[in-house]
Amino acid sequence: MLETVDLCVSYGAVKALNGMNLVVPQGEVTAVIGANGAGKSTLMRTLAGLVTPASGQVLFDGVSISGHKPEDIVRNGMALVPEGRSTIPELTVEENLRLGGLWRDKSDRGASKNLVFDLFPILGERANMRADTLSGGERQQLAIGRALMSNPKCLLLDEPSLGLAPLIVTQILELVSRLASETNLAVLLVEQNAVTALRVATTGVVLHLGEVVKSGPAAEISSDEELRHAYLGY
Amino acid sequence: MSNVKNLRTFPGNRIIWHAVIVGVVWLLLLLLNNNIDPLYSSYLALVAMYATAMFGMTILVGLSGQVSLGNGALMAVGGYVFALTSMNWETVPILGWQWNAIWSMVFAGLGGVLVGGVIGGLAARLRGPYLAGLTLGLAVGVPAITNRFPELLGGENGLMLTVPYPEGGYAATATGADLITDTGTDSSIDGTTDVAIDPNTGADESQYAELDLSQFDQGADPNAEVAPGDILTDGDLLTADDFGTGDQLAQGDLLTNEDFGTGTDLGIDGTDPGASTGTDLGTDTALDPTLDPTGITDTFDSGFIIERWQASMAIAVACLVAFAALNLIRGRQGRVWKAVRDDPIAAAVVGISPSGSKISAFVVSSLFAALAGAVFAQILSFVGPGAFGLGLSLSLLVGIVLGGRASLLGAILGALLLVWLPELVNGLSGERGWPEQVTNNAPNLLYGLLVVAVVLAAPGGITGTIRAWVDKARGKTRSPLS
Amino acid sequence: MTNFIDYLLGGFSNGAVIALMALALVLVWRSTRMVNFAQVGQAMFTTYVALTVQQSTGNWLLALVVAIVAGAVLGVIVFFLVIRPVKNSDSTGAIIATFGGLIALQAAAGMIWGGDPQGFIPPVDNAGLEFAGRTWPISLYDILVLSVTAALVIGLTLLFTKTSLGLSMRASAFNPEVARLSGVRVNRMLISGWAIAGATGAIGGVLIAPVSSISPNSFDILLVFAFTAAVIGGLDSLIGAVTFGIGTGLVISLVSGYSDSGNAPIVALILLALNLLLKPDGVFGHHGARSV
Repeated sequence: MLETVDLCVSYGAVKALNGMNLVVPQGEVTAVIGANGAGKSTLMRTLAGLVTPASGQVLFDGVSISGHKPEDIVRNGMALVPEGRSTIPELTVEENLRLGGLWRDKSDRGASKNLVFDLFPILGERANMRADTLSGGERQQLAIGRALMSNPKCLLLDEPSLGLAPLIVTQILELVSRLASETNLAVLLVEQNAVTALRVATTGVVLHLGEVVKSGPAAEISSDEELRHAYLGY
Repeated sequence: MSNVKNLRTFPGNRIIWHAVIVGVVWLLLLLLNNNIDPLYSSYLALVAMYATAMFGMTILVGLSGQVSLGNGALMAVGGYVFALTSMNWETVPILGWQWNAIWSMVFAGLGGVLVGGVIGGLAARLRGPYLAGLTLGLAVGVPAITNRFPELLGGENGLMLTVPYPEGGYAATATGADLITDTGTDSSIDGTTDVAIDPNTGADESQYAELDLSQFDQGADPNAEVAPGDILTDGDLLTADDFGTGDQLAQGDLLTNEDFGTGTDLGIDGTDPGASTGTDLGTDTALDPTLDPTGITDTFDSGFIIERWQASMAIAVACLVAFAALNLIRGRQGRVWKAVRDDPIAAAVVGISPSGSKISAFVVSSLFAALAGAVFAQILSFVGPGAFGLGLSLSLLVGIVLGGRASLLGAILGALLLVWLPELVNGLSGERGWPEQVTNNAPNLLYGLLVVAVVLAAPGGITGTIRAWVDKARGKTRSPLS
Repeated sequence: MTNFIDYLLGGFSNGAVIALMALALVLVWRSTRMVNFAQVGQAMFTTYVALTVQQSTGNWLLALVVAIVAGAVLGVIVFFLVIRPVKNSDSTGAIIATFGGLIALQAAAGMIWGGDPQGFIPPVDNAGLEFAGRTWPISLYDILVLSVTAALVIGLTLLFTKTSLGLSMRASAFNPEVARLSGVRVNRMLISGWAIAGATGAIGGVLIAPVSSISPNSFDILLVFAFTAAVIGGLDSLIGAVTFGIGTGLVISLVSGYSDSGNAPIVALILLALNLLLKPDGVFGHHGARSV
């Protein structure tokens, strides 16, 4: 579904990603893990079109999307849930959700909205409240819900665990994992919290200083002690 | 050259070095002033006046990053303080010192500092657009204050003022072409010094003060040929009659210019040695020679020419202000202003007070603006809400942006542009026969478009762009606004 | 007391126009986080356009419509002049560019239409209405001004709260990055904001012209009043701009009535200074939650 080929991204003289190769298949969760500064957020921002790569390619459905605008990429079926509070606090929950698929037909939007409310019932209950009245976990659900409103084929999640209680993180990620397998959605999850991420992921990729040091089945990565000590710090 | 570099590394020596630079420029300008047509001297006076105000803009807008539309209003503060003090305290020696022109300048400067401090205190709390809006309010509101106090401030009509020209004595010592060639430079420098620095000429001054008073004491003059406000209403800042007073000044009549302007020429006929001047100058025929600059030196070369005096006075103020600005900008304070402009939080972390820095930039620029306003008042012999309106504030902004926001040289180039462009347009208009409403608006249209173009394509203005080219040739990179 | 009520009533239609100009400033602020100091210059220019249309056709409504279109177009042009310095994070330059636009517009208007104030014939009678045995300080024209303003404010409110365009514009203003990631074409939304602001200002200009006459500089003071109202309203709030726009109109009317209209700018300046001193971010504005 999503593939990167020798992807390089630089900020001035600093290389944030150095020849990254990655494959994100449909129907499962792929987790990219690594410490701070490994290049995880850069990867996500590049995939979503917010950052232009210095060289290499991003292939989506076999077509190169490098250099495309973020608004076009999301319309093509790849939605990013960015790091941190990525809801718009001044808008209501319903408006935040509606924003996610404004260009789509009304009936399609309705179907997506029902799906989101099924997945995250709390959002349905709070539909007419401003987003800044939500708790951190609810806001993360709203952010994911907004991304789902675009009916994506591929969902990018950047650090969903940030600032949330572990129990809530696990709940949300398990929902996403179920969604991936049920609707054949490709999910790319980027996490500092390797344990949680590898628990829901099928495949794990360890990123260090802009380079992939190891990739393989999630279970294999989480049981590799050496890898854990060297790159994941636990 | 290596000596020069060494000089620059020590603050004390740096000040000497700046003094040398400014001194040389000053001398060159005075030489220039005395060797060009008086018409060009009047342009020179305006350029120096604009430059004085815009040195303050360099610091405020360029270095401190605060967009102010209020500097025209601050010039009004300086102009009105100068007018009021020079009018009302004319014969009162202050601390035994009778050089009231200097006192008026000092008070004008103090007025600017005071008002600038108050606004700066408010401004330091505000971000860009809020500050621009507040100062815009000042630019519109301050001239309106003059209407609030019509008795004191003259309302819409403004105030005529007695320009404290120095005693014409020194001009009398020079004869004919000597004034222009040999002693011309000297006497003019002396004259400048008298005004700006030397307190020892009190004796001379008392003489004109006396004259002044006697004239104010007279009854109204039925001199019909002097049309009240004639000169000032036609919008020509450079009152042509100034030329005419030249030869009369040697005889001690220092007030013709002012009397003419007000049209309340108080009893010159009869009592005054300059008896006939009022009438002479009032007629159009007396003004005619002034329209032909080449004829002026022939006609009036026996006296000192007010345009030259105005220019040398304006140059003196501009040079002193430039010296102060140079030392501030290239010293510690300049780095503080830039640090706060570029990153107020980082500056605060290293112990610089961002609001203190912003206020100090405001105060310094207000001081410069007020001094420029005082100079402007003397050039016009007049202060009024129209002369210090929003247009003036916008002009200063235009000049500083076109010349180069963050450099003193940019301020000078901007001042030149402000004076030269309208003349250029007038010349073109004369050749092509443009309608009046096109001619009148063409300079502003050009300014507006140029400002937008410069901001879009060359934010550093003339100086910033040239420096960027030079740096590029040398292989360095630098922000165009640094 | 009769005086007081008369002054107050007389202030409403001026207040409505100030509110429209303040709204225009707020619309621009919401879309690009900057104050468009050329706004009132644009309104002045489009009012001259309307004047020309009215003089040649005698049709006020057509003049208004042409002004609205011209206002939107001018808004878009000015947007392109300032957006580049904004993107280069040269906010000083962006402010200066809007002043450059103001200078150029005023000069261009002077060049085309001359500097002398010109009258603008109102579509309905502008004399005080008479009923209950006296003449009231409100004319038929004032009622028209208030109705148009009210309709516009209601229309804008509906646009922003009920339509997809409005939601996209709000999202783009609040958080452009999240808006882009949601598929919103943010640049178009910013342009729409400037166009709507230009049209709003143009309506304000056409409405005020019969009352105040028009010259290239005659709206300068309106800029100060509108800025004052917008800032007190928090620059972000449509409802704040309208409330304080009308409030400013009432205050000015009272000041002019009890003292002299020449004092109005001073009062506006004092209001603005006090407000900024007490609350640098305005009354209705809220702190934080802004990343742009």
